[in-house]
Amino acid sequence: MNAIETINLNVYYGEKHVIKNITMNIPKNVVFTIMGPSGCGKSTLLRSFNRLLELNETARITGDIKLFGESIFDMDPRELRKRVGMVFQQPNPFPHLSIYDNVAIGPKLNRLVESKEELDKLVEWALKKAALWDEVKDRLNDPATKLSGGQQQRLCIARALAIKPEVLLLDEPTSALDPVSTAKIESLLIELKKSYTIVLVTHNMQQAARVGDYTAFILDGELIEVGETSQIFENPRDRRTEEYITGRFG
Amino acid sequence: MPREVLDRIIEDIRNDVLKLSDVTKKAVYFSIEALKEKNVEKADMVYRLEEESDLLNLDIENKILSAAARYHPVAGDLRFFHAMMKVSSNYERICDLAQKIAEFVKKSAEKPLIKPLIDIPKMRDIIIEMIEQNEYAIKNHTTEPTNSLQNMDDKIDMLYEQIFNELVGIMVKDPKTVPDAIDLLFVARYLERIGDIVAKSGARIVYMIEGRRVWIK
Ligand SMILES: Nc1ncnc2c1ncn2[C@@H]1O[C@H](COP(=O)(O)OP(=O)(O)OP(=O)(O)O)[C@@H](O)[C@H]1O
Ligand SMILES: [Mg+2]
Repeated sequence: MNAIETINLNVYYGEKHVIKNITMNIPKNVVFTIMGPSGCGKSTLLRSFNRLLELNETARITGDIKLFGESIFDMDPRELRKRVGMVFQQPNPFPHLSIYDNVAIGPKLNRLVESKEELDKLVEWALKKAALWDEVKDRLNDPATKLSGGQQQRLCIARALAIKPEVLLLDEPTSALDPVSTAKIESLLIELKKSYTIVLVTHNMQQAARVGDYTAFILDGELIEVGETSQIFENPRDRRTEEYITGRFG
Repeated sequence: MPREVLDRIIEDIRNDVLKLSDVTKKAVYFSIEALKEKNVEKADMVYRLEEESDLLNLDIENKILSAAARYHPVAGDLRFFHAMMKVSSNYERICDLAQKIAEFVKKSAEKPLIKPLIDIPKMRDIIIEMIEQNEYAIKNHTTEPTNSLQNMDDKIDMLYEQIFNELVGIMVKDPKTVPDAIDLLFVARYLERIGDIVAKSGARIVYMIEGRRVWIK
């Protein structure tokens, strides 16, 4: 069964046609990477998967998106967003909350835990998974805004993990991270795919090659090519994919 | 990735492989010339060509490793590096085999051949034509000339069988010819191996250019 299927998906911002008739399947328990030049529609596509797009008044969607076989448009958006977590391109921790509460608020609101003890454990687990625990364990009550950009990004990853979503959408999660934290996040993604499905937008081609089981290439809102990552990077079928990944683009 | 830099490296490696290809052709050519004439100078020349092929192969390997480390080639670039690495080490091995042929010449320079060579030079000429087809494909990025590689390799195999049978006949008739006939059998066997290696190199070049796997038996 596929975690996500898009069927003739189109997205418009007002008159602007941004996602063009994309039909694709994202199998479950994989890391599925999406690459493409800036402005091609990657973030828009991710935001359609958890219906965040609807918060934008000019956005219009046609076609269908299925989560484990069921149309997401038949679901309650808040239920959907519990099942499909997201980490944004810009780190966006809740500024008025502490480090601890940033992670704890999701499970609390969604009643995922029954005791303070259980919550503590979950927060620690999520922060460890996001490779942040050692840096914050002695200052959990500091405001999240006291963290560096890269630490804030890892905090957002921890926050997303704490809800234990089925699908995790990540938009350029490591663009602000150093190689060590990046490597930790990449290991995390590979571990997480055992129980979750990961959709990763990345500009870092090597990252797509390292962690992606499947890779999709999008150009100007169109799905140009999708396939197993090794095939895409060894022997892409479309000339435009080849030009993009070998740096001959444009 | 600085595309121009990688393009320059690719051109450089391509030229090195073409140079190695030329050395390989000469080594194969002169090994059989040396044998035909029992000419020690020509055999020595094959030794020098073999050394040159070692150095070129090492050089190509180093350039490819360093480019892979720095530029993480993918797609057509990746297939190029992979194919050139293979072709380069294949051609270096061909030069080794040519040197073995030259070794027979040096060992028995004083003795006349037990028979005039006819089919062995024919095998050699087909091999050289195959190497030239590979060269053309590498230089012009087209697979068309490599289409006949399997065919030519089959011809080499047929010639090998023919030589084998002929030499066995000679040995049966006159056992005194056995040591020399065995040398010639080895030569034919080496040429058959070389034909194989050139054909397989051609298959790598097709994959590099088209991303299509072809199998040469
Ligand atoms: N809220 C919006 N209103 C109007 N147009 C938008 C809006 N958000 C994005 N766009 C446009 O839609 C297109 C796709 O944007 P999107 O953010 O999905 O690109 P992207 O592939 O994520 O780019 P990047 O790699 O730079 O993050 C762009 O042309 C962008 O200008
Ligand atoms: Mg984006």
